[in-house]
Amino acid sequence: MCHQTVSLAARALEAAGIPTVVMGCARDIVEHAGVPRFLFSDFPLGNPAGRPHDPASQRATLALALRLLESAPGPNTTVRNPLAWSDDPSWKRDFSNIDLVPPEEIARRRAEFDRIKEVAKSRREEDAAAG
Amino acid sequence: MSGRFGFAPAEDRPIAYLDRIRSYYETLGYGKPYEWAHYVETPFAALGKPLAEARVALVTTAAPYQPGKGDQGPGAPYNAAAKFYSVYSGDSMSDPDLRISHIAIDRDHTTAEDIGSWFPLRELLAAAREGRIGEVAPRFHGAPTNRSHAATIEVDAPELLARCRGDGADAVVLAAN
Repeated sequence: MCHQTVSLAARALEAAGIPTVVMGCARDIVEHAGVPRFLFSDFPLGNPAGRPHDPASQRATLALALRLLESAPGPNTTVRNPLAWSDDPSWKRDFSNIDLVPPEEIARRRAEFDRIKEVAKSRREEDAAAG
Repeated sequence: MSGRFGFAPAEDRPIAYLDRIRSYYETLGYGKPYEWAHYVETPFAALGKPLAEARVALVTTAAPYQPGKGDQGPGAPYNAAAKFYSVYSGDSMSDPDLRISHIAIDRDHTTAEDIGSWFPLRELLAAAREGRIGEVAPRFHGAPTNRSHAATIEVDAPELLARCRGDGADAVVLAAN
């Protein structure tokens, strides 16, 4: 949801005349929504601003985002960060990959997700009550 | 790289999250797939002044650390109790403690140990010091991640816009997790 949220916010800001750049790691979600400028880092979700404990990569990533902000020729401009997460791309197999979940694990995952939804619901109700 | 032409492995391409997530929840037994936001037309506003003169705001989906709301990392499991449902703002000069335990990050391959990998405030402040941007807007803003399109489009996005406008932002950097 996170990439969708940010994409929709970028669109609203841009429609009101404020230029934006989205930094993120889920290319298809952002491009499906459609944003003006997108700096895509092909990293595990949770690292839109560079690699952890690697200030040089964080610096280079923001520098690219700023260049994109000032130089995109039009909307739906994606720039791909040339930095790689790892020399081994096998990390890309794992995220939410149902083919890797053993059948006996499915019911447990379902129960866990239902539990998470309940917690989120009560959290939302708390926020609403707090005003 | 392999072979005569140095091609990369075929699996070394961006993850197809939309397909992965659809298959995952279908197999778990949830019904109709989630309809992700999709537009063909995209707004565009050119930067109206040199970046070196622009006030740049930062928007994040990270949450302020909330004592008493369970494990928020690093390495925390998904923590729905740490979610938030209203836009918040923080002082850009305050060195905030923001966490992403409430977001479905890739917990197999990253642990949310270094705020610099998901919240680029430190580098944005450096860019201002170095004259690459004019200045950092006085506040950063937190965007709730919500399944509800109505909540995001009709409530949160207008609120973010109002706050960025109120701060006189000339441009906005948004970091997704």
